[in-house]
Amino acid sequence: MKVPVRLASRMLVVAAGCFLSAAAWAGGAGFGDDDDNADEGGPSYFGFVRDNNGATVPDAKVTVSLKNKISIVTRTDALGTYKVPGFAKDIDPQDVQVSCDKDGYRQLRVVRRSTPNPDPKIPIETECTLQR
Amino acid sequence: MRKLLLCLIAVASFAMLVRPERGAAENQFGDANAQPAPFNPQMAAMMNMLIQPRHAKLGLAGAADNWPLAGYMLKELRQGFVITARAVPRWKGLPVPDLFDAAVDRPLKLIEAAVKLQYKAQFDDAYGKLTEGCNACHATTEHPFVVIKVPDASAFPNQDFQPKR
Repeated sequence: MKVPVRLASRMLVVAAGCFLSAAAWAGGAGFGDDDDNADEGGPSYFGFVRDNNGATVPDAKVTVSLKNKISIVTRTDALGTYKVPGFAKDIDPQDVQVSCDKDGYRQLRVVRRSTPNPDPKIPIETECTLQR
Repeated sequence: MRKLLLCLIAVASFAMLVRPERGAAENQFGDANAQPAPFNPQMAAMMNMLIQPRHAKLGLAGAADNWPLAGYMLKELRQGFVITARAVPRWKGLPVPDLFDAAVDRPLKLIEAAVKLQYKAQFDDAYGKLTEGCNACHATTEHPFVVIKVPDASAFPNQDFQPKR
């Protein structure tokens, strides 16, 4: 069968389009477990609350504040950790402060253990120490 | 007519491009002709291979007052945590060594003392705390449905946990 040149070139374009979409589909299947929405906001905030002996403190109140504008209050879990989701992407983590509190304790110090990481899944870690 | 012909050719081209590659592109288990990939177990596999069986064996040894075996399994369990934390230092962004330290370090030290003293009541108490630590860590890492408990039966029919007389 004789195929005209114009038809042949159209076929080539269609075939190339099919090839590219098939290749994109084949490579587009995910293999990871990225089931969070890390791209939608800034980094999350995570850390331990400890006493001055280094033991973790469950059920401590943790306040994560953005320059006195808004605050998120949470409590540490049985392991003495807290985690709060990130603020908006344009918020500078340096403007976010963490404090902790528990009846019978006073806050001794707050140490930021990490800086923002290029991997959005890695939270900013801040450790808060309480003293009786 | 030309449009119909063009459409048929396009469909045929698509089918030809996609079908022969089925084995490589579509098989969820991989490609039989690929080079063997290095075995790289992640957190769930490490827990199943290195932590859960050793936790169970430690509990069974302690329950049987088999202190040499309990001491050995304690060492193995601690090593399992070290290997896992080195292999997967962060899991879902969280610092695994710190989580392990908070969850199990203290109970493991208490178990070590109990084993040395061959003191069953302290062993049982510390083993319970170790198990609580496991579950607290599972909750922190959003896996509260993985509930660990003190073993009430052996899953190892080919191993005798009674002390050798």
